[in-house]
Amino acid sequence: MAFETFKKMNLLKFGYDWLNQRVPLEAAIKFATKKEVPVHKHSIWYYMGGICMLFVVLQLVTGLLLMVHYVPSYEGAYQSVMAINNKIPFGWLIRSMHSWGANLFIAILVIHMFSTYFMKAYRSPRELTWFSGLGLIGLAMVFGFTGYLLPMDEMAFFATKVGVDVAGEAPFIGELVANFVRGGEEVGQATMNRFFLIHVCALPAALMGALGLHLLLIQIHGISEPEYFKKLSIKKYEKFFPDFIMNDMFVWGGVTLLFLAIVCLNPWPLGPTIDPSAPAPIGIKPEWYFLSQFQVLKLMPSQFLFFEGAHVAMAIIGAAASTMVLIPFLDTGKNPTISKLATIWGVVFLIALGVLTYMGLQV
Amino acid sequence: MSYPVWEVPNIGNGWIIGLIAIFHVFISHFAIGGGAFLALTETLAYKKNDDRIYDYIKKHSKFFLLLTTVLGAVSGVGIWWAIGLANPSGASVLIQNFGLFWGAEWTFFAAELATFLAYYYTMGKMDKKNHCVLAWIYFGISFGTLFVINGILTGMLTNGGWLNAQGNIVGTVYDSFFNPAFWPALAIRLFIMFALAGIYALLTASTIKGQDDLKQYLLRYSAKWMLPGLIAGPLFVVWYMFTLPPATQQVIVSGLSSLGEGNFSMMAKVIFLCIVFATGLIGMVIVGPFLNPKGFNTTFALMLLASGFGFMFTEEWSREMMRKPYVIYNYMYSNGLRKNQIAQVNADGFFKSNAWARAEGATLAKEDTVGHGKLMFRYQCMSCHTATGNGYRSMARLLGERDENAIANLITLMKDNHVILSEESKDEKGNTVITTKAKTPYNGYMPPVVGHQDELDALSKYLVTLSKKGMEAGAEKAEAQMATESAPQSTTTKS
Repeated sequence: MAFETFKKMNLLKFGYDWLNQRVPLEAAIKFATKKEVPVHKHSIWYYMGGICMLFVVLQLVTGLLLMVHYVPSYEGAYQSVMAINNKIPFGWLIRSMHSWGANLFIAILVIHMFSTYFMKAYRSPRELTWFSGLGLIGLAMVFGFTGYLLPMDEMAFFATKVGVDVAGEAPFIGELVANFVRGGEEVGQATMNRFFLIHVCALPAALMGALGLHLLLIQIHGISEPEYFKKLSIKKYEKFFPDFIMNDMFVWGGVTLLFLAIVCLNPWPLGPTIDPSAPAPIGIKPEWYFLSQFQVLKLMPSQFLFFEGAHVAMAIIGAAASTMVLIPFLDTGKNPTISKLATIWGVVFLIALGVLTYMGLQV
Repeated sequence: MSYPVWEVPNIGNGWIIGLIAIFHVFISHFAIGGGAFLALTETLAYKKNDDRIYDYIKKHSKFFLLLTTVLGAVSGVGIWWAIGLANPSGASVLIQNFGLFWGAEWTFFAAELATFLAYYYTMGKMDKKNHCVLAWIYFGISFGTLFVINGILTGMLTNGGWLNAQGNIVGTVYDSFFNPAFWPALAIRLFIMFALAGIYALLTASTIKGQDDLKQYLLRYSAKWMLPGLIAGPLFVVWYMFTLPPATQQVIVSGLSSLGEGNFSMMAKVIFLCIVFATGLIGMVIVGPFLNPKGFNTTFALMLLASGFGFMFTEEWSREMMRKPYVIYNYMYSNGLRKNQIAQVNADGFFKSNAWARAEGATLAKEDTVGHGKLMFRYQCMSCHTATGNGYRSMARLLGERDENAIANLITLMKDNHVILSEESKDEKGNTVITTKAKTPYNGYMPPVVGHQDELDALSKYLVTLSKKGMEAGAEKAEAQMATESAPQSTTTKS
């Protein structure tokens, strides 16, 4: 019977009908075609979310493939990464994609965050969408930090050591947090266990939750429109499905090409194996996305007025970060002066981030 | 070999040629493929009697005129300027041996420019049918430029019966021109040109305003220009690969087959990337202008153009790398040394054979071995290597931790880099079998180092100053010298 039906229909229609009888495909497509995406001069920024999604998928797939051969032990990790790089077919490519992907994912997330910020997309009713986005950036940074240790090369070992020591400088709970993360006084097998577990279990689960919430909220509230666009008498929209999705696929193609060019021409390096008794290599510094914070810590004198310099630096970092959390409540769109101030603050924040990161890179 | 060296820090002089050439190729290919596009599209407009398509052609041909006759022509001259400085020996061989073809090429080029100017300025003023004929004449002439340059370029790698195994000229220039790779390379270039014509047309079509149906029609029409390359391109690439010299084939096959295990040979990576770009580009054209012309805008067209440039970049780069270590295969190495000169230079000595090195060497003290070694490096290695830092193929990086002995051994090995050993044996049936094998592992990748032993020693001594060990030794020596200089001072103070 099924064969007879198949013969009468074309393959695509058969597949569609088969699926539609089992899942509400028609309803989903109806919903997707009903959804519209505004078309205006800043539309390009709408693709950043899609690019972030692409990197999430790439990170999950390459991460899973790496786990097939990776040995999460203090003694065996380095050797297993070496084997991935030199023996496993296309292991170097998968590892480079994962490492480069982690960095580019954070870079695109930051671009996505600021484009959303400047389009004032954090305003009511999208506050929770904004918070879930901030949460995703936080998760991505922790992903980066925990993943950085896993190859267990010299740089990974000492950068993690320095990073956890810096966290230990935080007032009141710093030492407790540092010891908990390290699993003791020194970076060792216990640290490895914790980082691996956080990286491959806890964080992906949290990411799925935060991402799911983020996407759900976008479906509920629709895509945000810039203020000037809302005031236009004639507005142009395109259907989310299939038009915007097709455009998204096109952009993914371009980004993937650029990504593969970077990966192939600059495969991610693997440093020498660790020697815990050796001094930290000269010029050791955290990954670029922690450099601005690290630079604030470095610029601060050891004592500032009555306070420890590190504590003041952390307070400054915390205060700056909290403005991003509070912005939906401060700039509600009702007061034009506050709206302008929020834009100026965004520019200052972005420049400061760039300058501090650049300074950090120079050392 | 007797020309001065153009020293370009960090990237090396080869990249100056490379960057100008790739930019030029990206435009000049459009000049030819775009010619076919104009001719066919104008024929379409004529048959449909559609003035809107004529309007588009006018707009597109203005873009075409500015891009090809200004940037294309300037960058074409730029290539000659760059090769004249970076590889004068190679330029001189090409001019002296292929003068007839260069003459033909420039005649075609002048005719191409004149025809296009006539085409552009007679648009709307000439009978439509005749104007269409003019478009086809332009394409015919521009194809002539491709035909000639393709013969010269492919002859630089697969020079057919022009040379014998020793690198002596035994054939005519026609043997080199109509070489085994001529036809497949011509077809491949045509496919690339058609694809590029489509990509550039997508850019101009994406800017059409207020005529959505025409825009979408032209976008889909332009996207279809990728089809010939998609369908027949891979077949001609396979044919082309079979025409390459066996040593080049071996380098490609061994590079690609060990790519999976992390063989970071640049050629393998670039070929891999070239395949990735070609596939990605086709995918992007399908999901973009072909399936979704409504959503296709100028930003996307620019993305396609950038991806097209990425493809051209990797394609041209890998084609150039296939010729290494030669600039003209089996005839002249990339440093200007002719294959049939090796024995003579080894007998006479490098400085005696190279007028410029000899003149510069005369300004140095005889005992300045490092200075003489530096000159050897400049004239024999700098066409492909930079000296210090993180420059392109930097010797400091490549030598790494090698000490003086290791470097001297490497130089000795490199001296026999051109030697092919042959061994006679009998097979099971008693027939004589001759197997050949390169004497060194660098054969096929680098030219031999030439000169007397004392000159090679000088080169080793200079290279030691670049290596990490040499730098450390130099630093220790400097520290020791500073300590000795400061020691008497402190003694004097005490006394």
